[in-house]
Amino acid sequence: MIEREVATLKDYGFRDYSKLVKAFNVVKRIFVVLIILGLYLSIIIIAIKSFNNSRNLSSFSGLTLSWYLEMFNETELMNAVRNTLIVSTIATVVATILGTIFAIGLYTLAKKNRVFWMLLNNVPILNADIVTGFSLMLMFRMFMVFFPNIFGLFTLVMAHLFFCIPYVVLSVMPKLKETDPNLMDAALDLGVKPYKALVKVLIPAIKAGIFAGMLLALTMSIDDFVISYFNTGAGFDNLSIWIYAVMGRRDLTPSVYAFSTLLTLFTLAGLLVYQFLERNKKGEKV
Amino acid sequence: MNKEFKVLALPYKIWLGIFVFVPIIAMALIGISNLNSTVTIADLRITLSHFSILYQRSVLIAFRNSLTFAFATTLICFVLGYFVSYEIKRSRVKNKFVILTIVILPMWSNLILRIESLGNIMSENNILKSIIGFNLFGNISGTWMAVLFGLVFTYLPFMILSIYTALEKIDPALEEAALDLGLTPMMKFWKVVFPLSFKGVVTGSIMVFLPALTGFAVPKILSRGQIILIGNIIENKFIYTNYNHGALLSMIILIFIFGSILLITKFDKEGETLL
Repeated sequence: MIEREVATLKDYGFRDYSKLVKAFNVVKRIFVVLIILGLYLSIIIIAIKSFNNSRNLSSFSGLTLSWYLEMFNETELMNAVRNTLIVSTIATVVATILGTIFAIGLYTLAKKNRVFWMLLNNVPILNADIVTGFSLMLMFRMFMVFFPNIFGLFTLVMAHLFFCIPYVVLSVMPKLKETDPNLMDAALDLGVKPYKALVKVLIPAIKAGIFAGMLLALTMSIDDFVISYFNTGAGFDNLSIWIYAVMGRRDLTPSVYAFSTLLTLFTLAGLLVYQFLERNKKGEKV
Repeated sequence: MNKEFKVLALPYKIWLGIFVFVPIIAMALIGISNLNSTVTIADLRITLSHFSILYQRSVLIAFRNSLTFAFATTLICFVLGYFVSYEIKRSRVKNKFVILTIVILPMWSNLILRIESLGNIMSENNILKSIIGFNLFGNISGTWMAVLFGLVFTYLPFMILSIYTALEKIDPALEEAALDLGLTPMMKFWKVVFPLSFKGVVTGSIMVFLPALTGFAVPKILSRGQIILIGNIIENKFIYTNYNHGALLSMIILIFIFGSILLITKFDKEGETLL
Protein backbone atom coordinates (compact mmCIF):
# COMPACT_ATOMS: atom_id res chain seq x y z
CA MET A 1 0.00 0.00 0.00
CA ILE A 2 1.23 3.42 -0.80
CA GLU A 3 0.72 5.78 2.01
CA ARG A 4 -1.06 8.72 0.67
CA GLU A 5 -0.75 12.08 2.30
CA VAL A 6 -4.13 13.49 3.01
CA ALA A 7 -4.34 17.23 2.87
CA THR A 8 -5.99 18.60 5.97
CA LEU A 9 -7.91 21.82 6.26
CA LYS A 10 -4.80 23.27 7.89
CA ASP A 11 -2.82 22.76 4.71
CA TYR A 12 -5.30 24.91 2.87
CA GLY A 13 -4.62 27.71 5.30
CA PHE A 14 -7.59 27.15 7.56
CA ARG A 15 -6.93 28.04 11.15
CA ASP A 16 -9.29 27.29 13.94
CA TYR A 17 -10.06 30.60 15.55
CA SER A 18 -13.20 29.44 17.33
CA LYS A 19 -11.56 29.41 20.77
CA LEU A 20 -10.07 32.84 20.21
CA VAL A 21 -13.41 34.14 19.01
CA LYS A 22 -15.10 32.78 22.11
CA ALA A 23 -12.57 34.43 24.41
CA PHE A 24 -12.89 37.65 22.44
CA ASN A 25 -16.67 37.56 22.86
CA VAL A 26 -16.34 37.19 26.62
CA VAL A 27 -13.99 40.18 26.76
CA LYS A 28 -16.41 42.19 24.65
CA ARG A 29 -19.30 41.33 26.93
CA ILE A 30 -17.28 42.42 29.97
CA PHE A 31 -16.53 45.75 28.29
CA VAL A 32 -20.21 46.34 27.50
CA VAL A 33 -21.12 45.65 31.12
CA LEU A 34 -18.37 48.00 32.33
CA ILE A 35 -19.56 50.82 30.07
CA ILE A 36 -23.17 50.36 31.21
CA LEU A 37 -21.92 50.38 34.80
CA GLY A 38 -20.14 53.65 34.04
CA LEU A 39 -23.46 55.10 32.91
CA TYR A 40 -25.09 53.94 36.14
CA LEU A 41 -22.27 54.85 38.51
CA SER A 42 -23.73 58.23 39.43
CA ILE A 43 -27.21 56.79 39.93
CA ILE A 44 -25.83 54.10 42.23
CA ILE A 45 -24.02 56.75 44.28
CA ILE A 46 -27.19 58.84 44.50
CA ALA A 47 -29.07 55.78 45.77
CA ILE A 48 -26.36 54.99 48.34
CA LYS A 49 -26.44 58.57 49.59
CA SER A 50 -30.21 58.46 49.94
CA PHE A 51 -29.97 55.47 52.30
CA ASN A 52 -27.13 56.95 54.33
CA ASN A 53 -27.72 57.32 58.04
CA SER A 54 -25.76 60.52 58.48
CA ARG A 55 -26.04 64.05 57.17
CA ASN A 56 -22.37 63.87 56.24
CA LEU A 57 -22.37 63.19 52.50
CA SER A 58 -18.87 61.76 52.30
CA SER A 59 -19.01 58.85 54.69
CA PHE A 60 -21.40 55.97 55.00
CA SER A 61 -22.55 55.19 58.53
CA GLY A 62 -25.55 52.93 58.15
CA LEU A 63 -28.83 52.33 56.40
CA THR A 64 -31.91 54.41 56.95
CA LEU A 65 -35.11 55.24 55.13
CA SER A 66 -35.76 58.40 57.12
CA TRP A 67 -34.76 60.77 54.27
CA TYR A 68 -37.65 59.41 52.24
CA LEU A 69 -40.04 60.80 54.86
CA GLU A 70 -37.93 63.82 55.71
CA MET A 71 -38.00 65.16 52.15
CA PHE A 72 -41.66 66.13 52.41
CA ASN A 73 -40.72 68.55 55.20
CA GLU A 74 -38.02 70.29 53.19
CA THR A 75 -39.96 73.31 52.00
CA GLU A 76 -37.27 74.54 49.59
CA LEU A 77 -36.94 71.16 47.91
CA MET A 78 -40.69 70.69 47.67
CA ASN A 79 -41.03 74.20 46.29
CA ALA A 80 -38.45 73.45 43.57
CA VAL A 81 -40.19 70.17 42.76
CA ARG A 82 -43.55 71.92 42.51
CA ASN A 83 -42.10 74.59 40.19
CA THR A 84 -40.55 71.91 37.99
CA LEU A 85 -43.83 70.03 37.77
CA ILE A 86 -45.81 73.19 36.95
CA VAL A 87 -43.47 74.23 34.14
CA SER A 88 -43.02 70.73 32.70
CA THR A 89 -46.72 69.88 32.76
CA ILE A 90 -47.75 73.10 31.02
CA ALA A 91 -44.89 72.85 28.52
CA THR A 92 -45.51 69.17 27.75
CA VAL A 93 -49.27 69.41 27.32
CA VAL A 94 -49.14 72.55 25.18
CA ALA A 95 -46.16 71.30 23.16
CA THR A 96 -47.86 67.96 22.46
CA ILE A 97 -51.06 69.57 21.19
CA LEU A 98 -49.39 72.33 19.20
CA GLY A 99 -46.57 70.10 17.95
CA THR A 100 -49.05 67.59 16.51
CA ILE A 101 -51.07 70.31 14.78
CA PHE A 102 -47.91 71.95 13.42
CA ALA A 103 -46.49 68.63 12.20
CA ILE A 104 -49.69 67.95 10.21
CA GLY A 105 -49.47 71.45 8.76
CA LEU A 106 -45.84 71.04 7.79
CA TYR A 107 -46.52 67.61 6.30
CA THR A 108 -48.97 69.06 3.77
CA LEU A 109 -46.30 71.45 2.44
CA ALA A 110 -44.38 70.65 -0.74
CA LYS A 111 -41.24 68.64 -0.05
CA LYS A 112 -38.71 71.40 -0.69
CA ASN A 113 -40.62 73.83 1.48
CA ARG A 114 -41.00 71.21 4.17
CA VAL A 115 -37.28 70.45 4.31
CA PHE A 116 -36.61 74.14 4.93
CA TRP A 117 -39.10 74.41 7.80
CA MET A 118 -37.93 71.12 9.29
CA LEU A 119 -34.44 72.59 9.30
CA LEU A 120 -35.71 75.58 11.28
CA ASN A 121 -37.65 73.16 13.48
CA ASN A 122 -34.38 71.38 14.29
CA VAL A 123 -32.57 74.58 15.26
CA PRO A 124 -33.65 74.49 18.93
CA ILE A 125 -32.64 70.81 19.14
CA LEU A 126 -29.23 71.27 17.57
CA ASN A 127 -28.44 74.68 18.98
CA ALA A 128 -26.27 74.65 22.07
CA ASP A 129 -28.34 75.13 25.20
CA ILE A 130 -26.18 78.01 26.33
CA VAL A 131 -26.74 79.95 23.10
CA THR A 132 -30.49 79.23 23.11
CA GLY A 133 -30.74 80.19 26.76
CA PHE A 134 -28.62 83.31 26.50
CA SER A 135 -30.26 84.64 23.35
CA LEU A 136 -33.81 83.94 24.58
CA MET A 137 -32.92 85.79 27.75
CA LEU A 138 -31.78 88.77 25.70
CA MET A 139 -35.04 88.71 23.73
CA PHE A 140 -37.18 88.54 26.86
CA ARG A 141 -35.19 91.42 28.32
CA MET A 142 -36.23 93.54 25.35
CA PHE A 143 -39.87 92.91 26.31
CA MET A 144 -39.13 94.13 29.83
CA VAL A 145 -39.76 97.68 28.65
CA PHE A 146 -43.46 96.78 28.35
CA PHE A 147 -43.70 93.98 30.92
CA PRO A 148 -41.20 94.67 33.72
CA ASN A 149 -41.99 91.45 35.61
CA ILE A 150 -41.83 89.12 32.62
CA PHE A 151 -39.10 86.87 34.04
CA GLY A 152 -40.37 83.90 36.02
CA LEU A 153 -43.02 81.32 35.20
CA PHE A 154 -43.98 82.93 31.88
CA THR A 155 -40.48 83.13 30.38
CA LEU A 156 -39.65 79.67 31.67
CA VAL A 157 -42.73 78.14 30.01
CA MET A 158 -42.08 80.00 26.74
CA ALA A 159 -38.45 78.86 26.70
CA HIS A 160 -39.47 75.27 27.40
CA LEU A 161 -42.11 75.39 24.67
CA PHE A 162 -39.43 76.61 22.28
CA PHE A 163 -37.40 73.42 22.65
CA CYS A 164 -40.27 70.98 23.39
CA ILE A 165 -42.43 71.58 20.30
CA PRO A 166 -39.63 70.56 17.87
CA TYR A 167 -39.29 67.17 19.57
CA VAL A 168 -43.02 66.51 19.15
CA VAL A 169 -42.92 67.62 15.50
CA LEU A 170 -39.87 65.47 14.89
CA SER A 171 -41.45 62.32 16.30
CA VAL A 172 -44.88 62.84 14.71
CA MET A 173 -43.48 63.53 11.22
CA PRO A 174 -42.21 59.98 10.45
CA LYS A 175 -45.57 58.54 11.53
CA LEU A 176 -47.34 60.92 9.15
CA LYS A 177 -45.09 59.74 6.34
CA GLU A 178 -45.92 56.12 7.16
CA THR A 179 -49.70 56.61 7.05
CA ASP A 180 -51.45 55.67 3.87
CA PRO A 181 -52.49 58.90 2.08
CA ASN A 182 -55.55 57.04 0.76
CA LEU A 183 -56.82 56.84 4.32
CA MET A 184 -57.61 60.55 4.50
CA ASP A 185 -58.89 60.62 0.90
CA ALA A 186 -61.23 57.75 1.64
CA ALA A 187 -62.60 59.55 4.67
CA LEU A 188 -63.10 62.72 2.66
CA ASP A 189 -64.74 60.82 -0.24
CA LEU A 190 -67.13 59.30 2.22
CA GLY A 191 -68.25 62.79 3.09
CA VAL A 192 -66.47 63.43 6.38
CA LYS A 193 -65.55 67.06 6.94
CA PRO A 194 -61.73 67.61 6.72
CA TYR A 195 -61.18 68.56 10.36
CA LYS A 196 -63.41 65.77 11.59
CA ALA A 197 -61.46 63.33 9.44
CA LEU A 198 -58.30 64.74 10.98
CA VAL A 199 -59.49 63.89 14.47
CA LYS A 200 -61.21 60.60 13.63
CA VAL A 201 -58.78 59.15 11.08
CA LEU A 202 -55.38 60.80 11.07
CA ILE A 203 -54.80 61.38 14.81
CA PRO A 204 -55.47 57.72 15.71
CA ALA A 205 -53.05 56.66 12.95
CA ILE A 206 -50.21 58.78 14.35
CA LYS A 207 -51.02 58.15 18.03
CA ALA A 208 -47.73 56.35 18.70
CA GLY A 209 -45.70 59.27 17.35
CA ILE A 210 -47.64 61.77 19.45
CA PHE A 211 -47.08 59.67 22.55
CA ALA A 212 -43.36 59.32 21.88
CA GLY A 213 -43.11 63.06 21.26
CA MET A 214 -44.91 63.78 24.52
CA LEU A 215 -42.52 61.56 26.46
CA LEU A 216 -39.52 63.23 24.82
CA ALA A 217 -40.85 66.70 25.55
CA LEU A 218 -41.47 65.76 29.18
CA THR A 219 -37.97 64.28 29.51
CA MET A 220 -36.31 67.33 28.04
CA SER A 221 -38.40 69.77 30.03
CA ILE A 222 -38.12 68.10 33.41
CA ASP A 223 -34.35 67.71 33.25
CA ASP A 224 -33.48 71.03 31.64
CA PHE A 225 -30.90 73.11 33.41
CA VAL A 226 -29.03 75.50 31.12
CA ILE A 227 -31.94 77.13 29.29
CA SER A 228 -33.98 77.43 32.49
CA TYR A 229 -30.97 78.87 34.32
CA PHE A 230 -30.83 81.86 31.97
CA ASN A 231 -34.56 82.39 31.63
CA THR A 232 -35.95 82.22 35.11
CA GLY A 233 -36.44 85.06 37.50
CA ALA A 234 -38.24 86.25 40.59
CA GLY A 235 -36.88 83.25 42.51
CA PHE A 236 -38.86 80.79 40.39
CA ASP A 237 -36.26 78.01 40.54
CA ASN A 238 -36.83 74.60 39.07
CA LEU A 239 -35.14 71.55 40.57
CA SER A 240 -31.95 71.77 38.49
CA ILE A 241 -31.39 75.45 39.20
CA TRP A 242 -32.13 74.97 42.89
CA ILE A 243 -29.69 72.05 43.20
CA TYR A 244 -27.02 74.03 41.34
CA ALA A 245 -27.44 76.96 43.73
CA VAL A 246 -27.56 74.84 46.90
CA MET A 247 -24.55 72.81 45.77
CA GLY A 248 -22.54 76.02 45.48
CA ARG A 249 -23.28 76.62 49.19
CA ARG A 250 -22.30 72.96 49.96
CA ASP A 251 -25.66 72.61 51.60
CA LEU A 252 -27.29 69.58 49.93
CA THR A 253 -29.49 67.48 52.19
CA PRO A 254 -29.75 63.71 51.67
CA SER A 255 -33.46 64.28 50.99
CA VAL A 256 -32.56 65.49 47.50
CA TYR A 257 -30.94 62.13 46.80
CA ALA A 258 -33.94 60.34 48.24
CA PHE A 259 -36.22 62.30 45.92
CA SER A 260 -34.06 61.54 42.89
CA THR A 261 -33.90 57.82 43.72
CA LEU A 262 -37.64 57.70 44.20
CA LEU A 263 -38.14 59.36 40.82
CA THR A 264 -35.81 56.86 39.13
CA LEU A 265 -37.69 53.98 40.72
CA PHE A 266 -41.04 55.40 39.58
CA THR A 267 -39.73 55.81 36.04
CA LEU A 268 -38.46 52.25 36.07
CA ALA A 269 -41.78 50.96 37.39
CA GLY A 270 -43.64 52.93 34.73
CA LEU A 271 -41.49 51.45 31.99
CA LEU A 272 -41.92 47.92 33.32
CA VAL A 273 -45.72 48.33 33.49
CA TYR A 274 -45.73 49.72 29.95
CA GLN A 275 -43.63 46.81 28.76
CA PHE A 276 -45.93 44.34 30.52
CA LEU A 277 -49.04 45.88 28.94
CA GLU A 278 -47.45 45.86 25.49
CA ARG A 279 -46.55 42.21 25.83
CA ASN A 280 -50.10 41.33 26.87
CA LYS A 281 -51.48 43.24 23.92
CA LYS A 282 -49.24 41.32 21.54
CA GLY A 283 -50.30 38.06 23.17
CA GLU A 284 -53.96 38.85 22.52
CA LYS A 285 -53.36 39.51 18.85
CA VAL A 286 -51.69 36.16 18.34
CA MET B 1 -53.05 64.99 1.85
CA ASN B 2 -55.61 67.71 2.09
CA LYS B 3 -54.16 71.09 1.20
CA GLU B 4 -56.58 72.71 3.62
CA PHE B 5 -54.28 71.74 6.50
CA LYS B 6 -51.54 74.03 5.17
CA VAL B 7 -53.09 76.68 7.40
CA LEU B 8 -52.04 74.65 10.42
CA ALA B 9 -48.37 75.27 9.64
CA LEU B 10 -48.81 79.04 9.54
CA PRO B 11 -48.71 79.73 13.30
CA TYR B 12 -45.63 77.57 13.60
CA LYS B 13 -43.92 79.48 10.82
CA ILE B 14 -44.60 82.71 12.70
CA TRP B 15 -43.50 81.15 16.01
CA LEU B 16 -40.27 79.80 14.51
CA GLY B 17 -39.67 83.08 12.71
CA ILE B 18 -39.83 84.94 16.01
CA PHE B 19 -38.10 82.47 18.31
CA VAL B 20 -35.32 81.43 15.96
CA PHE B 21 -34.42 84.77 14.44
CA VAL B 22 -35.27 87.52 16.93
CA PRO B 23 -33.02 86.19 19.75
CA ILE B 24 -30.11 85.68 17.36
CA ILE B 25 -30.52 89.13 15.83
CA ALA B 26 -30.78 90.66 19.31
CA MET B 27 -27.67 88.78 20.34
CA ALA B 28 -25.72 89.91 17.28
CA LEU B 29 -26.82 93.49 17.85
CA ILE B 30 -25.85 93.47 21.52
CA GLY B 31 -22.53 91.85 20.65
CA ILE B 32 -21.48 94.69 18.36
CA SER B 33 -23.06 97.71 20.00
CA ASN B 34 -23.09 99.60 23.27
CA LEU B 35 -26.66 98.47 24.00
CA ASN B 36 -27.27 97.48 27.61
CA SER B 37 -29.87 98.12 30.27
CA THR B 38 -28.74 101.74 30.81
CA VAL B 39 -28.48 102.68 27.13
CA THR B 40 -31.70 103.40 25.27
CA ILE B 41 -32.28 102.65 21.59
CA ALA B 42 -31.80 106.34 20.79
CA ASP B 43 -28.19 106.30 22.01
CA LEU B 44 -27.41 103.06 20.22
CA ARG B 45 -23.98 103.07 18.69
CA ILE B 46 -22.20 100.33 16.80
CA THR B 47 -18.85 99.51 18.35
CA LEU B 48 -16.34 96.79 17.80
CA SER B 49 -14.66 97.37 21.15
CA HIS B 50 -16.11 94.16 22.61
CA PHE B 51 -13.96 92.15 20.23
CA SER B 52 -11.01 92.97 22.48
CA ILE B 53 -12.09 90.15 24.84
CA LEU B 54 -11.24 87.68 22.10
CA TYR B 55 -7.57 88.49 22.64
CA GLN B 56 -7.75 88.03 26.38
CA ARG B 57 -5.59 85.17 27.53
CA SER B 58 -8.30 83.62 29.69
CA VAL B 59 -10.76 83.56 26.78
CA LEU B 60 -8.22 82.05 24.40
CA ILE B 61 -7.36 79.35 26.92
CA ALA B 62 -11.05 78.68 27.46
CA PHE B 63 -11.59 78.21 23.73
CA ARG B 64 -8.61 75.88 23.51
CA ASN B 65 -9.85 73.90 26.52
CA SER B 66 -13.37 73.68 25.12
CA LEU B 67 -12.22 72.43 21.73
CA THR B 68 -9.80 69.91 23.23
CA PHE B 69 -12.36 68.50 25.64
CA ALA B 70 -15.12 68.45 23.03
CA PHE B 71 -12.99 66.59 20.46
CA ALA B 72 -11.64 64.13 23.02
CA THR B 73 -15.12 63.48 24.41
CA THR B 74 -16.58 62.95 20.94
CA LEU B 75 -13.82 60.56 19.95
CA ILE B 76 -14.10 58.46 23.11
CA CYS B 77 -17.90 58.48 22.92
CA PHE B 78 -17.72 57.38 19.28
CA VAL B 79 -15.49 54.40 20.08
CA LEU B 80 -17.43 53.32 23.17
CA GLY B 81 -20.81 54.19 21.66
CA TYR B 82 -20.27 52.34 18.40
CA PHE B 83 -18.99 49.32 20.27
CA VAL B 84 -21.98 49.20 22.62
CA SER B 85 -24.58 49.88 19.89
CA TYR B 86 -23.10 47.22 17.64
CA GLU B 87 -23.06 44.70 20.44
CA ILE B 88 -26.66 45.55 21.35
CA LYS B 89 -27.66 45.09 17.74
CA ARG B 90 -25.87 41.75 17.44
CA SER B 91 -27.00 40.47 20.82
CA ARG B 92 -29.49 37.67 20.80
CA VAL B 93 -31.64 39.50 23.33
CA LYS B 94 -35.00 39.83 21.62
CA ASN B 95 -36.32 42.70 23.65
CA LYS B 96 -34.51 45.76 22.32
CA PHE B 97 -36.88 48.00 24.26
CA VAL B 98 -35.39 46.83 27.55
CA ILE B 99 -31.84 47.40 26.35
CA LEU B 100 -32.60 50.90 25.13
CA THR B 101 -34.38 51.65 28.40
CA ILE B 102 -31.22 50.63 30.24
CA VAL B 103 -29.26 53.14 28.18
CA ILE B 104 -31.75 55.98 28.58
CA LEU B 105 -32.75 55.51 32.21
CA PRO B 106 -29.76 57.39 33.70
CA MET B 107 -30.72 60.43 31.63
CA TRP B 108 -33.97 60.65 33.54
CA SER B 109 -32.36 61.65 36.79
CA ASN B 110 -31.20 65.15 37.33
CA LEU B 111 -27.98 65.96 35.46
CA ILE B 112 -26.59 68.31 38.09
CA LEU B 113 -27.15 65.79 40.85
CA ARG B 114 -25.50 63.02 38.83
CA ILE B 115 -22.44 65.16 38.14
CA GLU B 116 -22.24 66.17 41.79
CA SER B 117 -22.27 62.51 42.80
CA LEU B 118 -19.50 61.70 40.33
CA GLY B 119 -17.50 64.62 41.69
CA ASN B 120 -18.02 63.32 45.19
CA ILE B 121 -16.56 59.86 44.52
CA MET B 122 -13.59 61.41 42.72
CA SER B 123 -12.47 63.29 45.82
CA GLU B 124 -10.24 61.91 48.53
CA ASN B 125 -12.74 61.07 51.23
CA ASN B 126 -15.94 59.85 49.72
CA ILE B 127 -18.92 57.70 50.41
CA LEU B 128 -17.82 54.87 48.12
CA LYS B 129 -14.44 54.68 49.84
CA SER B 130 -16.12 54.34 53.21
CA ILE B 131 -17.98 51.30 51.86
CA ILE B 132 -15.51 49.47 49.60
CA GLY B 133 -12.40 50.62 51.47
CA PHE B 134 -10.41 52.08 48.56
CA ASN B 135 -10.65 54.96 46.14
CA LEU B 136 -12.11 53.80 42.83
CA PHE B 137 -10.77 56.78 40.91
CA GLY B 138 -7.84 57.81 43.03
CA ASN B 139 -8.04 61.45 43.91
CA ILE B 140 -8.69 62.95 40.49
CA SER B 141 -11.22 65.60 41.50
CA GLY B 142 -10.24 68.93 39.98
CA THR B 143 -8.15 67.43 37.17
CA TRP B 144 -8.81 67.12 33.44
CA MET B 145 -9.40 63.39 33.86
CA ALA B 146 -12.38 64.03 36.11
CA VAL B 147 -13.89 66.43 33.57
CA LEU B 148 -13.29 64.07 30.65
CA PHE B 149 -14.82 61.12 32.50
CA GLY B 150 -17.84 63.22 33.46
CA LEU B 151 -18.35 64.50 29.91
CA VAL B 152 -18.02 61.06 28.31
CA PHE B 153 -20.47 59.31 30.60
CA THR B 154 -22.94 62.20 30.53
CA TYR B 155 -23.22 62.34 26.76
CA LEU B 156 -22.54 58.71 25.80
CA PRO B 157 -26.29 57.79 25.71
CA PHE B 158 -26.85 60.30 22.87
CA MET B 159 -24.15 58.60 20.81
CA ILE B 160 -25.45 55.09 21.55
CA LEU B 161 -29.01 56.05 20.63
CA SER B 162 -28.07 57.76 17.35
CA ILE B 163 -25.81 54.96 16.17
CA TYR B 164 -28.24 52.28 17.28
CA THR B 165 -31.10 53.97 15.38
CA ALA B 166 -28.98 53.97 12.22
CA LEU B 167 -27.81 50.37 12.72
CA GLU B 168 -31.36 49.13 13.27
CA LYS B 169 -32.45 50.51 9.91
CA ILE B 170 -29.89 48.44 7.98
CA ASP B 171 -31.61 45.64 6.11
CA PRO B 172 -30.20 42.32 7.42
CA ALA B 173 -30.47 40.95 3.86
CA LEU B 174 -27.68 43.32 2.85
CA GLU B 175 -25.35 41.80 5.41
CA GLU B 176 -26.24 38.29 4.28
CA ALA B 177 -25.66 39.30 0.69
CA ALA B 178 -22.25 40.68 1.57
CA LEU B 179 -21.28 37.39 3.22
CA ASP B 180 -22.71 35.34 0.35
CA LEU B 181 -20.68 37.36 -2.11
CA GLY B 182 -17.54 36.35 -0.30
CA LEU B 183 -16.65 39.14 2.09
CA THR B 184 -15.11 38.18 5.39
CA PRO B 185 -17.06 39.36 8.46
CA MET B 186 -14.48 42.10 9.01
CA MET B 187 -14.73 43.38 5.43
CA LYS B 188 -18.52 43.14 5.61
CA PHE B 189 -18.42 45.48 8.59
CA TRP B 190 -16.18 48.07 6.94
CA LYS B 191 -17.72 47.93 3.46
CA VAL B 192 -21.40 47.53 4.29
CA VAL B 193 -22.39 48.12 7.91
CA PHE B 194 -20.19 51.07 8.78
CA PRO B 195 -20.96 53.21 5.71
CA LEU B 196 -24.69 52.60 6.19
CA SER B 197 -24.53 53.62 9.84
CA PHE B 198 -22.43 56.71 9.16
CA LYS B 199 -25.50 58.95 9.28
CA GLY B 200 -25.98 57.96 12.90
CA VAL B 201 -22.31 58.51 13.67
CA VAL B 202 -22.48 62.08 12.35
CA THR B 203 -25.64 62.90 14.28
CA GLY B 204 -24.36 61.24 17.44
CA SER B 205 -21.03 63.03 17.21
CA ILE B 206 -22.73 66.39 16.92
CA MET B 207 -25.12 65.57 19.77
CA VAL B 208 -22.04 64.90 21.90
CA PHE B 209 -19.71 67.55 20.51
CA LEU B 210 -21.95 70.59 20.92
CA PRO B 211 -22.98 70.15 24.57
CA ALA B 212 -19.43 69.11 25.46
CA LEU B 213 -18.12 72.25 23.74
CA THR B 214 -20.54 74.64 25.39
CA GLY B 215 -21.65 73.13 28.68
CA PHE B 216 -20.59 74.81 31.87
CA ALA B 217 -22.02 72.75 34.72
CA VAL B 218 -19.93 69.61 34.15
CA PRO B 219 -16.49 71.31 34.02
CA LYS B 220 -17.38 73.68 36.84
CA ILE B 221 -18.45 70.92 39.23
CA LEU B 222 -15.87 68.27 38.31
CA SER B 223 -12.85 70.54 38.04
CA ARG B 224 -13.92 72.58 41.06
CA GLY B 225 -13.47 75.71 38.99
CA GLN B 226 -9.88 74.79 38.03
CA ILE B 227 -10.55 74.24 34.35
CA ILE B 228 -12.38 77.03 32.57
CA LEU B 229 -14.32 76.25 29.42
CA ILE B 230 -15.99 78.79 27.16
CA GLY B 231 -19.36 78.03 28.75
CA ASN B 232 -18.01 79.03 32.15
CA ILE B 233 -16.90 82.39 30.79
CA ILE B 234 -20.34 83.02 29.28
CA GLU B 235 -21.96 82.03 32.56
CA ASN B 236 -19.77 84.52 34.41
CA LYS B 237 -20.63 87.26 31.92
CA PHE B 238 -24.28 86.45 32.61
CA ILE B 239 -23.85 86.51 36.40
CA TYR B 240 -22.05 89.89 36.26
CA THR B 241 -24.65 91.11 33.70
CA ASN B 242 -21.99 91.86 31.08
CA TYR B 243 -24.37 90.90 28.28
CA ASN B 244 -22.33 92.49 25.48
CA HIS B 245 -19.39 90.20 25.98
CA GLY B 246 -21.61 87.20 26.65
CA ALA B 247 -23.51 87.84 23.43
CA LEU B 248 -20.34 88.15 21.40
CA LEU B 249 -18.95 84.87 22.74
CA SER B 250 -22.29 83.14 22.10
CA MET B 251 -22.18 84.39 18.51
CA ILE B 252 -18.82 82.68 18.06
CA ILE B 253 -20.24 79.42 19.40
CA LEU B 254 -23.09 79.86 16.94
CA ILE B 255 -20.58 79.58 14.09
CA PHE B 256 -19.69 76.06 15.28
CA ILE B 257 -23.37 75.23 15.50
CA PHE B 258 -24.08 76.41 11.96
CA GLY B 259 -21.24 74.23 10.76
CA SER B 260 -22.77 71.26 12.59
CA ILE B 261 -26.24 71.89 11.21
CA LEU B 262 -24.84 72.03 7.67
CA LEU B 263 -23.02 68.78 8.30
CA ILE B 264 -26.15 67.07 9.58
CA THR B 265 -28.34 68.28 6.72
CA LYS B 266 -25.74 66.95 4.30
CA PHE B 267 -26.00 63.45 5.71
CA ASP B 268 -29.52 63.41 7.05
CA LYS B 269 -31.97 65.66 5.19
CA GLU B 270 -34.96 65.76 7.53
CA GLY B 271 -33.26 64.90 10.77
CA GLU B 272 -34.45 61.31 10.92
CA THR B 273 -31.60 60.17 13.16
CA LEU B 274 -32.11 63.07 15.57
CA LEU B 275 -34.46 60.94 17.61
